[in-house]
Amino acid sequence: MSKESKALEKQAWTSQRVLDLILNNALIIIMAVAVVYIAFKNPNFIKPASLINILSQTCAYLPVALGVGGCIVLTGTDLSAGRIVGLTACLSASLLQAVDAASKMWTSITPPPVLLVLALAMVLGALIGAFNGFFVAKFKLHPFIVTLATQLIVYTALLLYVKAGNNNGMAISGLDKSYSGFITGSLPFAKIAGTPIPNYVWIAVVCTALMWFIWNKTTFGKNMFALGANEEAARVSGVNVFATTIMVFALAGAMYAVTGFIEGARVASNTANTGLNYEADAIAACVIGGVSFVGGIGKIRGIVIGVLMLRLIFVGLNMVNVPQDLIYLVKGAIILFACALDMRKYLVKK
Amino acid sequence: MKKILAMILALVMCLSLAACGGGDDAPPADGDDGEGDAPPASELNVGVFYYTFADAYITTVRTAMGDKLNAAGITFQDYDGANNQATQLDQINTAITNGANMLIVNIVETSSPDAAQQACDAAKNAGIPIVFFNREVANEVVNSYENCAFVGTDAPEAGHMQGEMIGDFLLANYEATDLNGDGTISYVMFKGQEGNAEAEYRTQFAVEDANLKLTEAGKPELSFYNAGNADKYLVDQAGAWSSQAATDYMTTILAEYSEANGNMVELIIANNDGMAEGAVAALQAAGYNLGNDEDGNPTSTVIPVYGVDAMDSAVQKIENGQMTGTVKQDGDGMAETIVSLVKNISDGAALMDNTSSLNVDSGVAKIRVPYAKVTA
Repeated sequence: MSKESKALEKQAWTSQRVLDLILNNALIIIMAVAVVYIAFKNPNFIKPASLINILSQTCAYLPVALGVGGCIVLTGTDLSAGRIVGLTACLSASLLQAVDAASKMWTSITPPPVLLVLALAMVLGALIGAFNGFFVAKFKLHPFIVTLATQLIVYTALLLYVKAGNNNGMAISGLDKSYSGFITGSLPFAKIAGTPIPNYVWIAVVCTALMWFIWNKTTFGKNMFALGANEEAARVSGVNVFATTIMVFALAGAMYAVTGFIEGARVASNTANTGLNYEADAIAACVIGGVSFVGGIGKIRGIVIGVLMLRLIFVGLNMVNVPQDLIYLVKGAIILFACALDMRKYLVKK
Repeated sequence: MKKILAMILALVMCLSLAACGGGDDAPPADGDDGEGDAPPASELNVGVFYYTFADAYITTVRTAMGDKLNAAGITFQDYDGANNQATQLDQINTAITNGANMLIVNIVETSSPDAAQQACDAAKNAGIPIVFFNREVANEVVNSYENCAFVGTDAPEAGHMQGEMIGDFLLANYEATDLNGDGTISYVMFKGQEGNAEAEYRTQFAVEDANLKLTEAGKPELSFYNAGNADKYLVDQAGAWSSQAATDYMTTILAEYSEANGNMVELIIANNDGMAEGAVAALQAAGYNLGNDEDGNPTSTVIPVYGVDAMDSAVQKIENGQMTGTVKQDGDGMAETIVSLVKNISDGAALMDNTSSLNVDSGVAKIRVPYAKVTA
């Protein structure tokens, strides 16, 4: 009955339907208009080198957003993302410093295999994430509170770590070739018009594919959405709420570690400041991409668009010389607009 | 039952924290066997307030100061202002009520003298000496209380030195640096933060002084790489002087400006080493500044990159040809000077005694620790 009537309504009010269509895709339309406008003002914007720059910046920030997206699907959030990025970046960089680096942090360590360090960073990230998830699941605390607390705890670990060994609070750099090559190098064939595509783009692509698979094709993913949409219903239908919550946060932590690992070599100068505020952009990207704070709603595709959008703002507005003071305004307006659109859909459903 | 458990947990946490705190102070005292009983160092209880623990340079000052105070057997406690002036003022007031009888303050807010004045008044009311350091405070503040002093650098000096270094370098290597041969050097400036006195000075003087040298030698002034940017700098939007901000800007620049297009950026000036290193990371990804081979010859085109701070990692980059110059902020020297003032107080002398050999401003108790140029 309802399906039929809805279909009828849609056919009946065509102007309404067009408006809906426009509103539902408003962000993509705005993005397209903005890209055309910027490209018109500054043709360099759409040259291959610039496109690859936007792509690679998007990919560097993407894993954090993919991770935090899962927490938002559970009607939560994760404020500890930035600090976990910082800690894992410093950990990766310190283990993979070149043998002859100035003030090498751990003098006795010769750089271990790069993938081993990536795995180590992901395990550390996942452990911190699981810690978050445990408090959320066990004590029914809101993730906002839990992660507000854990980001402080992780920050202490970070502050102590940058002072450990011989480092003395200095920036951790002087990275081993194997590490910087693995991240910022490029595969011989991966070139567009002579501009190489850095390897971390592929890492982000793998993460995206993996997360898409987990979200859409696994029981765990389905449980996550069920839990986010209605916890009681999920529990009654046999979802293990405790385990699912912990796994979502642990997975998020592992994703932050991927960005940490990338940033460690991409920026190549790691301090206690590394990762600061990354969660803000990641959460904003998810919201822009339609991952709803209402819970149980969100698509990987949306998150990718959200991160891309924020990078377009950063790169595009700089290229058309928008004064720096106004960039925050644009960012804020887009987040607010996206949220309002999102809630509008939800209100219609109700 | 649960309440008891919570209580026990809280107690254990407090104890373990106390144990950690004790652990921090203990080792240096043990290490001092040679000197035996360091001066029973008075009843001095020093509160040291840092604007943030996250700043790499300030952390080197913090470590040096901690070591020196421990060696002198002086009790002290460090506070993290977390880049928030309100937090820091609360910490100062709490420390005073907690019996601190000397304050060493790395003030957060530098764009108006009010915060520093409040801190100074708090010390004055409690009748205890206060030493500001690193981040400049106004002369009126220092002069408002006889037991107030400032130890820092001459903020504009870093910018002047950067400018001189750049000017000298360009005059010696003009042809090589001018990649597109158009006779002018195009540059980019990375600014750490808006409204910070040191960032403002460095941003202004590095370019002005370099231009002065260039015009004296009959060369045209530096030109900002992007004529549409009226500010003539790119600022870290988070105000954190971060390498990541510089990397993101630099990759964006390199996507639009290149040697092939004949508009490559030919000089990079950054407010600190972190941003300089961030820019170098982006340059290296694009095949520039890859460093020297074993004979000391560059293995790629080098875009000169300048920073400030002389952190170890930056100095190493300069040695192997990935960076061109930096200005040394002597963290150890600053800590040494501050601790000498603390010792004055613990010996019962006046705050500014024994400072005649140092570089002191006239008419105000401000000690200047000199900067130094660092090049290959």
